[in-house]
Amino acid sequence: MKVISVEDVRSLVLEKLQPWLDAKGLGAEEIPDNFDLLTEGLIDSMGILQLISEVEARFGITVDFEELDPENLTVIGPFCRHIAEKSLTVNR
Amino acid sequence: MGTASKLSVANAPSRGIHEGFLRSSVRYAHRPAVEVRGTMLTYDELRNRAMSLAASLERATPPGGTPLTAVFARRSTTAYSGVLAALLAGHGYVPLNRTFPLERTWAMLQRSGCRSLIVDAESELRLEAILDLSEEPLLIILPERTDTSYLRSRWSRHTILGASDLEPAGNFEEKPVSPDSIAYLLFTSGSTGIPKGVMVAHQNVAHFVSFMTDRYGICEYDRFSQTFDMTFDLSAFDMFVAWERGACVCCPSEKTLINPAKFIQDAKLTVWFSVPTVGVFMKRLGALKAGQFPTLRWSLFCGEPLPAEIAESWSRAAPNSVVENLYGPTELTIACCLYRWQAGKSEEQCLRGVVPIGDPFPGMDVLVVDEELREVPPGKDGELLMAGPQVALGYWQDPEKTATAFVLPPGKNQTYYRTGDRVRRPNKTGPMCYLGRVDHQIKIQGHRVELGEVESLLRQEAGVDAAVAIGWPVTVSGAGGIEAFVMGNKLEPQTILERLKRKLPAYAVPRRIHLLSELPLNPNGKIDRGKLAKLLGDLPQF
Repeated sequence: MKVISVEDVRSLVLEKLQPWLDAKGLGAEEIPDNFDLLTEGLIDSMGILQLISEVEARFGITVDFEELDPENLTVIGPFCRHIAEKSLTVNR
Repeated sequence: MGTASKLSVANAPSRGIHEGFLRSSVRYAHRPAVEVRGTMLTYDELRNRAMSLAASLERATPPGGTPLTAVFARRSTTAYSGVLAALLAGHGYVPLNRTFPLERTWAMLQRSGCRSLIVDAESELRLEAILDLSEEPLLIILPERTDTSYLRSRWSRHTILGASDLEPAGNFEEKPVSPDSIAYLLFTSGSTGIPKGVMVAHQNVAHFVSFMTDRYGICEYDRFSQTFDMTFDLSAFDMFVAWERGACVCCPSEKTLINPAKFIQDAKLTVWFSVPTVGVFMKRLGALKAGQFPTLRWSLFCGEPLPAEIAESWSRAAPNSVVENLYGPTELTIACCLYRWQAGKSEEQCLRGVVPIGDPFPGMDVLVVDEELREVPPGKDGELLMAGPQVALGYWQDPEKTATAFVLPPGKNQTYYRTGDRVRRPNKTGPMCYLGRVDHQIKIQGHRVELGEVESLLRQEAGVDAAVAIGWPVTVSGAGGIEAFVMGNKLEPQTILERLKRKLPAYAVPRRIHLLSELPLNPNGKIDRGKLAKLLGDLPQF
């Protein structure tokens, strides 16, 4: 099984968010680890749910809402790390 | 003949839609009226706040405005006290949303002619631009701000009131409300790029609330979800149906809304109301487990087609609740048709996997017509027209658009609203089923979007003659987003997107703009939207 790195997740997430980043005039490299997709007004709660389900489909994993602090769920760094960790459990 | 309602209504509607709240505030003074992101206000507290704001509106609203007050607040206690204050002061409320682009908010404010705004702390960031733009003197009420000295000194033409400047609640003088005056003015997407304001009257909402509270047997122990922003008219169900009977409106933060299952459980909700898309995501993310939501009594969906599999999964996740599919455009006041999901029976009544929209509310009349507005035979497809006490007053300061949409069909003696929705006229046995939009209006996550509006802005911002917006990917409830095609390459797609983002709410901004040297045409010489949609299927998905 291919190991999914945090960087893999991050680049997929940023790729999906490209149009919204473009509209805000933000480059992918300018997005810090603590960037909150929701409070920065990049996408809304439905957008987050859609993003999660697309990431799940791509990596064949399931995001467990119980495991992830809701405050962190919409922050790009913790979110990507959670997905990468989940993929390890799935592929092990 | 149209189809009269099979549903019945017990009580005569009251007049002002805030009167139910006032009655409950006496009877259930110490029960919770709202819980907003962890802050609870009792009926007593909310009434006092609203009366204090209303008295301030009465004293300080500059003359010359319309009988409307803007509520520039979102998911805050001020949003609720603001709505009630506007109504108590005899005004209709105009909800504004800080997540909308400033230009859109400004266009709504300007069109509505409001001279008074009630603003919460989080929306203040957007306020300065409005204070700059408005040449007319405005009354700005900031109930969450103590120090207003900076704002006052910088914008002396406006009246700015902070928390300590508010009138005491006791100074409020009740204003009589005429049943046909505006309760709220709600802006929806318009095909010309200018938002249309739908004028909904007190009597429209009163009729709706009276039927809903009786049907659902609402009582003071009920706890309602508030998944909708106030700029979405379905939010009015949560507020006014709950307050009519002393129930509590539970308004989560946007972060809490990401995990709706936890919200339902933590808030011990008894009444759930959302767009079906929320259910779709919950199912996809494994959050609709059997028996998970025992507290729910009612599970209501509205705003877009409800997939049968979601109704089915939800009814198993909330085994003590009844699932109902509601239908209704803003112009017919929140919802005007409904269908009850019954496992074992409903599956075969679904059309293309979508739950029927069912029967009209009491007093509402259904007419399914062809292009000449002649009624089609039972079992045939046509555009849905509806008449009755929930037909809104029309479009704000737009008699032309009002006349086009609110019509007198041949042989009829009352006004019908043309929904633009295609339905199958029920025959003797089956319920009414929804088929899709007549025009190019689509639903994206429950939000109504006129593709014509997006296209007109595309043409304008890209400086081209031809542009096409397509809902893509197609979902059972509408579309996941918008993809745009522009002829020519005068501008970079990125530049066009940046400009659109300033004019459109996020859900209506295209995800991608494809530049084509020419747009494919069909044999009639019209742009072949089908071919473009097919092209999208061939493009790599991002």
